[in-house]
Amino acid sequence: MSDEKEHGSGSVAPGDTSKRVGAEVIRERGVDPEELREKLIDAIGAEFTTYYYYTNLRMHLAGEEDYKEITEDARLEDRAHFELVVPRIYELEGSLPNDIRDFADRASCPDAEVPTPMDDSGGFDTSDLAVEDILEVLLEAERCAIRTWSEICDMTRGADPRTYDMAQRILNEEMDHEAWFIELLSKERDDEINPAGHFARGEPGDAPYSTNNRFNDSA
Amino acid sequence: MTQSSNETWTVTIVVPEDSSLDEAGETYDLEVGADETILAAARSAGVWLPADCQQGWCTTCAARLVDGDVAHPNARRYYDEDDEAGYVLPCTAKPRTDTTVVVDQYDDFLEFRAANDRPPGNSKLDS
Repeated sequence: MSDEKEHGSGSVAPGDTSKRVGAEVIRERGVDPEELREKLIDAIGAEFTTYYYYTNLRMHLAGEEDYKEITEDARLEDRAHFELVVPRIYELEGSLPNDIRDFADRASCPDAEVPTPMDDSGGFDTSDLAVEDILEVLLEAERCAIRTWSEICDMTRGADPRTYDMAQRILNEEMDHEAWFIELLSKERDDEINPAGHFARGEPGDAPYSTNNRFNDSA
Repeated sequence: MTQSSNETWTVTIVVPEDSSLDEAGETYDLEVGADETILAAARSAGVWLPADCQQGWCTTCAARLVDGDVAHPNARRYYDEDDEAGYVLPCTAKPRTDTTVVVDQYDDFLEFRAANDRPPGNSKLDS
């Protein structure tokens, strides 16, 4: 590098691979990249646990095929959110916990368990399991996700456009999901018409916001 | 004393001097309904306290109760030892008397949870 262009490297020395300018520019703009990446791990921990728990919730919507399909969309899109953000955590010099129990413990949203106790043999006691109770679990899980991604948008707005772009795409889909489950729960529990206003998905788990400009093909 | 939903209590929110919040060093007195959470009341009053899940799970909002009494009827992860040690989660905490809380205690609370082998303590501190 020319001595005359010395200033061009900023705080990272030319050829220094121990630091990332991609992280330092965020720090320069007032966001701690380490704090952000830990927040992202918590957030996608919730996406991952939700993906798992929605599998079970969907199974227990027995006979409610339309509810199952919508839950499946939300389930697959939550997995897509996990996939979308994982590379960003590594870019910010973080990593996924080695122990999945740690990952679940630190997830930023509660476990979305089937709202029924276990029976005497360790299976689900479905004798009093109501569809509306499952829909309420789904709704509250989406609401938590909305709060989490809103927090990340707040953290990154004007400082980290790459993470902000991911977070606002995910937030768009979480808001879709909330609207879906409000519509379904209103009808199922209260016999009220409370339209979501949209249901625009092509194939299951389409994720139109978080995958229409792919960061990687697995997302 | 029996509470009805239209009763309110005075909740004093103390933001420590060494807090990183913009409100560091400030104290706020809010009227909070018995069916209202401290966090919601604070944010409605323009006091932006930290929070994330707002379901009593992630502990981002953790605070210390220094006077009064609260209930956490909807908290998803709140333990007896939290209560005994005087920690509260304002996102789900509803006042039952006039109450004073010191907010922005997340880091200390993680240490406390870790010491008691409760999540998310060790899963966060070991990362």
